[in-house]
Amino acid sequence: MSEHRIFALVAGVSLALSGAAFASEWTPKRLPDGQPDVQGFYRPEIAGTYSLVRPRRGVGIRDQEEYDKRKASNDLSKSRVVDPPDRLVPYQPWARDKQQALEASALNWTQPEHIDPQARCVPGGVTRTIFWTQDFEIRQYPGYVVFLDDQNHTSRTIPLDGRPHIPEKIKLWMADSRGHWEGATLVVDVTNDNAKHRLSNEGDFSSDKVHIVEKYIFTGPNSFRLEQRYEDPSVYTKPWTIASEFTRAHAKEPSYELWFNECQEGERDVENLYHGDKTKPY
Amino acid sequence: MTSHLSAATIAAKFRAASRPLGLALGLFMALSAPPVAGAAPAETGGALPRAANGKPDFSGLWQALSTADWDLEPHHARKDAPPGLGVVVGGEIPYQTWAAEKRKENYEKRETLDPRNKCYLPGIPRATYSPYPFQIFQGDTHLTLLYEYAHTARTIYTNDTKHPSGHIDWWLGDSRGHWEGDKLVVDVVDFNDQTWFDHSGNFHSDALHVIENYSFIDPDHIRYEVTIEDPKVFTRPWTIDLVLYRHLEKNFQLLEYECYTFDYERFYP
Repeated sequence: MSEHRIFALVAGVSLALSGAAFASEWTPKRLPDGQPDVQGFYRPEIAGTYSLVRPRRGVGIRDQEEYDKRKASNDLSKSRVVDPPDRLVPYQPWARDKQQALEASALNWTQPEHIDPQARCVPGGVTRTIFWTQDFEIRQYPGYVVFLDDQNHTSRTIPLDGRPHIPEKIKLWMADSRGHWEGATLVVDVTNDNAKHRLSNEGDFSSDKVHIVEKYIFTGPNSFRLEQRYEDPSVYTKPWTIASEFTRAHAKEPSYELWFNECQEGERDVENLYHGDKTKPY
Repeated sequence: MTSHLSAATIAAKFRAASRPLGLALGLFMALSAPPVAGAAPAETGGALPRAANGKPDFSGLWQALSTADWDLEPHHARKDAPPGLGVVVGGEIPYQTWAAEKRKENYEKRETLDPRNKCYLPGIPRATYSPYPFQIFQGDTHLTLLYEYAHTARTIYTNDTKHPSGHIDWWLGDSRGHWEGDKLVVDVVDFNDQTWFDHSGNFHSDALHVIENYSFIDPDHIRYEVTIEDPKVFTRPWTIDLVLYRHLEKNFQLLEYECYTFDYERFYP
């Protein structure tokens, strides 16, 4: 548990950045199995996965201008990275080089591996999916929290019964999650990530050895703060943490339903990237 | 044995679908339970599992042990399919003449045309008997079904809501369920015409109407009877009948069969 304590310190440092309390004061309603009832739809304060350190909401001209400005002036004030204090992902030198190469080639691709796998409709992993999907719904059942995402009909099943992770050899696009509740905070331990998805359009990445600890800190009936601590000594110089506030969506539409979107079924975006040039491998 | 559902029975099921459910929501608050009781091990034998609202509780991990995914009809082994006695009640699917021809053509071209070989969403009922496990999560107002195959996900609403208006093209259709005693009856419409029932070219149009019946045989087995209607393709409704088996392995869980990524995973080491 000492790791959790260290994490709490790290999260504490980040308080100043968001003004959110680390430990929730909120007393939630309980479900029959004892879980806090947090079911429903939520949205991040800034949706979109273009960038971890310069998150942007849209792809319009103004979004692009604003993003370019922040990039040119090295403005990281909106970075999702709240630790380390410089708001950057602490890549090892070789990994920073790789991230920059991936970023550059994703915009000027000539090989299949340059294409951001997101364009191929892959499940985006635990970070990218929650920031990318249009609709994200939490459903709870005895012994489980289930996350459902409309984009790519992706989901996460989080067992709460304390079972061990699956064997290390098995790697999954959406990784392997084990959760438990600490008051109104859902803590999820994430391993077995295949790490083939990227963390942003800017080429951010981890390896398949990554260990992610997530905290869904429910701060009230309509909000939570998400903190994800990434630890991967094969890629980063030290652990780092992203944080974002989420608020309830569709709160005034009790009959709103999650309708899943298909993506790879009939997907042609990747072909279009080649402008119909069938000689290029994709 | 299964009885074939007549059109009159189907009509009765529709009427029943609009009946208020009268759920005793949230009245069984077991507040003394420890925080997060965890997933109890599956029962073996004895009384049927029941949810707090008294309905049969289908929560758990299930899988069909059948060769229905390869061919719904009786068939002997072939290079790309294990043999099977078939799951169609009466043995044969009642195609209209033109459709029987099309089915034959589909069969000949199945390696390239079967949507499963492109890893598309499998449609209903094929998702149920695809040779991969799936998990049912049961709530008072709905069931969530997650399938290992391609992250297929589905909601069956049991809150007395109706299908959305208008035809919507969905790979998995729109599912609205209700209880008839201990049987869960699910009405599914709004399909596209892209999915197949199996790897033998059995197909449907966007007029497909599926009525699923889930009922416990015992705590670890579900009888899954499905009536399939499509006036554009078949001469009459027909029924399939199969058994779903509960996974009893310790700590069993869904993994991922993300088949559409296999061809390009090499680009992302």
